Amino acid sequence: MAYSRVHAHVREYDVFARKARVEPLRQVGSVVAPDDDLAMAYARATYDEERWVEMMIVPRDAVIRLWAPGESES
Amino acid sequence: MRYAEWCIAAPSLEADIAAAAMGLDDIGHSRVLYGSLRELGTPDGIDESSYANVPYLDKPWTDWAQFVAANAVLDSAFTLMIEALANGNVEVLRSRLKKMLQEEHYHFLHGRSWMRETKAASAIDEAWRESVEWIGPEGADVDELHQEGRLAFHVRELRSLLEQRVGSAAPPADIDWARWDRVRRRTTPGGIDQATLEMLQGLAEKRYMPSA
Repeated sequence: MAYSRVHAHVREYDVFARKARVEPLRQVGSVVAPDDDLAMAYARATYDEERWVEMMIVPRDAVIRLWAPGESES
Repeated sequence: MRYAEWCIAAPSLEADIAAAAMGLDDIGHSRVLYGSLRELGTPDGIDESSYANVPYLDKPWTDWAQFVAANAVLDSAFTLMIEALANGNVEVLRSRLKKMLQEEHYHFLHGRSWMRETKAASAIDEAWRESVEWIGPEGADVDELHQEGRLAFHVRELRSLLEQRVGSAAPPADIDWARWDRVRRRTTPGGIDQATLEMLQGLAEKRYMPSA
């Protein structure tokens, strides 16, 4: 990954946000950073163009996938 | 302005975007602060000597380490002073500076993370020294404003809070307070470089858009 030229170790984070409390959170993008601090700073700098009432980031390796597109449920 | 200069020169695209975003934040913050000053009865400065910047911002930074040190140390010092104002007894500032502090939190996270990744020791020492100069000596204006209740922290508190935030003790610095300029909050002469000054005053733009 090109990014590893800058940092020896990085994690990918998915960014989730919503504009109103009644809306569900949706994935608005992702960031790559060496730690949570920088991931928060990058997520806010990159995805703050809308008036989100809530934004959160999740390390992608913390997500447990049950199935993916094209895979069957069982 | 100095943040903006790095918006295509930072080590990664994400850091470019963050530099641009933080530069925009700080332009917004200066608009709020100047607006508040006007409301509180302080007239605008009239000439270039009224740019009371710290020496660290006199010249464009040539190394990312200088960006990181400014971001982690100086920006934190400015933020602490804003916190001191937001928690002081001046009503206009109490109500207006809260959003600024929310935004500055992300500048702090950015600076703190990059400081862990970057060998910036000498730039950090310089930023530290200038932060201490900018806060000023004990027993002077900042401590007086604290006694009047306008600032929530006095000089020693500001210094120790800055140490907590940066995560290291201030390096020993022999500051000659006799040479300290109370208005410009620095001990060395000098000012912003000519090219940046012209941009700040809109002269650079006028050159490309001559009036008919």
